[in-house]
Amino acid sequence: MTTSQKHNSRQHPASFRDPSGFLFSRDKVLYRQVNRKYEQEYARLMESGLYDRLVKTRLLIPHVEADQVPAESDLAHKIIQPECVPFISYPYEWSFGQLKDAALATLSIQRRALKAGMSLKDASAYNIQFVRGKATLIDTLSFEIYEEGMPWVAYRQFCQHFLAPLALMALRDIRLNQLLRVYIDGVPLDLASELLPLKTRFNFGLLTHIHLHAGAQKRYSGVEVKSRLATMNKQAMTGLIESLDSTVRKLEWKPGGTEWGNYYDITNYSDAAFEHKKQLVREWAARVQPSVVWDLGANNGVFSRLAGEAGALVVSSDMDPAAVEQNYHQVRGEKTENILPLLIDLTNPSPSMGWANEERDSFGARGPADMALALALIHHLAISNNVPLLQVADFFGKIGKWLVIEFVPKADSQVQKLLVSREDIFPDYTRAGFEAAFRQRFRIAEAVNVRESERVLYLMESL
Amino acid sequence: MHFAPLPYLDPGSGSFLIQLLIAALLGLGVAVRASWGRIKGWFGIKSQPKADEDDDESET
Repeated sequence: MTTSQKHNSRQHPASFRDPSGFLFSRDKVLYRQVNRKYEQEYARLMESGLYDRLVKTRLLIPHVEADQVPAESDLAHKIIQPECVPFISYPYEWSFGQLKDAALATLSIQRRALKAGMSLKDASAYNIQFVRGKATLIDTLSFEIYEEGMPWVAYRQFCQHFLAPLALMALRDIRLNQLLRVYIDGVPLDLASELLPLKTRFNFGLLTHIHLHAGAQKRYSGVEVKSRLATMNKQAMTGLIESLDSTVRKLEWKPGGTEWGNYYDITNYSDAAFEHKKQLVREWAARVQPSVVWDLGANNGVFSRLAGEAGALVVSSDMDPAAVEQNYHQVRGEKTENILPLLIDLTNPSPSMGWANEERDSFGARGPADMALALALIHHLAISNNVPLLQVADFFGKIGKWLVIEFVPKADSQVQKLLVSREDIFPDYTRAGFEAAFRQRFRIAEAVNVRESERVLYLMESL
Repeated sequence: MHFAPLPYLDPGSGSFLIQLLIAALLGLGVAVRASWGRIKGWFGIKSQPKADEDDDESET
């Protein structure tokens, strides 16, 4: 572990690549050490007006300079305290629209930086977070001083982290965003080039930034580039950024055709049942007053919005890319600040990964939440995925103190659908069996029969 | 490759070379558009300013 324990501080396990500085936590507060090596760049960022412009447009995380003992005094120039990001999410958990907005935010930052005589020295998708609904750069030390003639050092990273996965998602298969979970430094361009359909060779942006780019990487690998040749003027830099921007903007993906895209139009319960569920979720959220809610299997986020009415941050996760995309479009359209749609498959949630398995946290490690919602979910876990009810209770017990969970009985047509072509090996999947299992981990505070339905909604408190 | 300062991430030789080539081409485009704007200006046609980062409230 590359942690520093000096002065009661712990270096963040994902903050080791850039010698300009690093993140550390002390007394549960996150700080960033700016190293002396980065003094000049930091001064330019702050004094050129670039920082103010980026913070004003919410493209960069705001920070204050903190009067703290440095974690590594020999290297330190300053300690800054960035605004806290309440939930960190990763590109392989984002919908198409989220990754696209993160890409466009990166390019927008680069254009503004160039105007201030600076340039992004990295274009990692992991440097972008959704802060109050908007794609925001969280790495204050990503800027270098731009001198005319310099190429964009982050070009390769931008193509791998953003352009290649977006093109694959839009033009090959939406599920290919999961390649980002395997390739932590973005999708290798030769792989993207192989997977993309032939027609992309007739798209100037994709032809150049992916196909020819991949070819050049292969052909010139390890070749030394003479510095007198390796220059490009500012007009060329502007042209490059504009081209990346228009290539990204033209990539579109419309939800539809996936499993849950229109789930609420095909449910089996009445309007009265739906309204009753809404009323209960609203009431219980008001009673519990959570700060952080995890809505698991959130579909397009209808119940997330109710749970977040009092201002809680709601992580609104679902395994269906169409549902998450719809959810995100609504967040954007309504400028909602406290709903974070995420693509999570609960039967295989994001693991901890990267260097030493510590760079990116698992989904569970980013908890606990104050309250979890598991509506119309239990049958997918217990029947589709064969998870014993006690293990489901264990899982939810670790997520948060309060749980709102819906029991969907076997007689329900949605459950019948799951059993239609398989043996019913679930004798305990009954209301009594469910309650017996969950009582081992929770206190049942409320159990209400949902009107005009056979379903039961519970409010439970973890033991 | 020699730049001051050297980047902390390897930008990749192939990525560098293709970038120079593409950017040179695209830079020409930018130059042509800029001159076209000037030529139109002589005839009193104003180009629409692009909704971009001059507008600080613009969303990405």
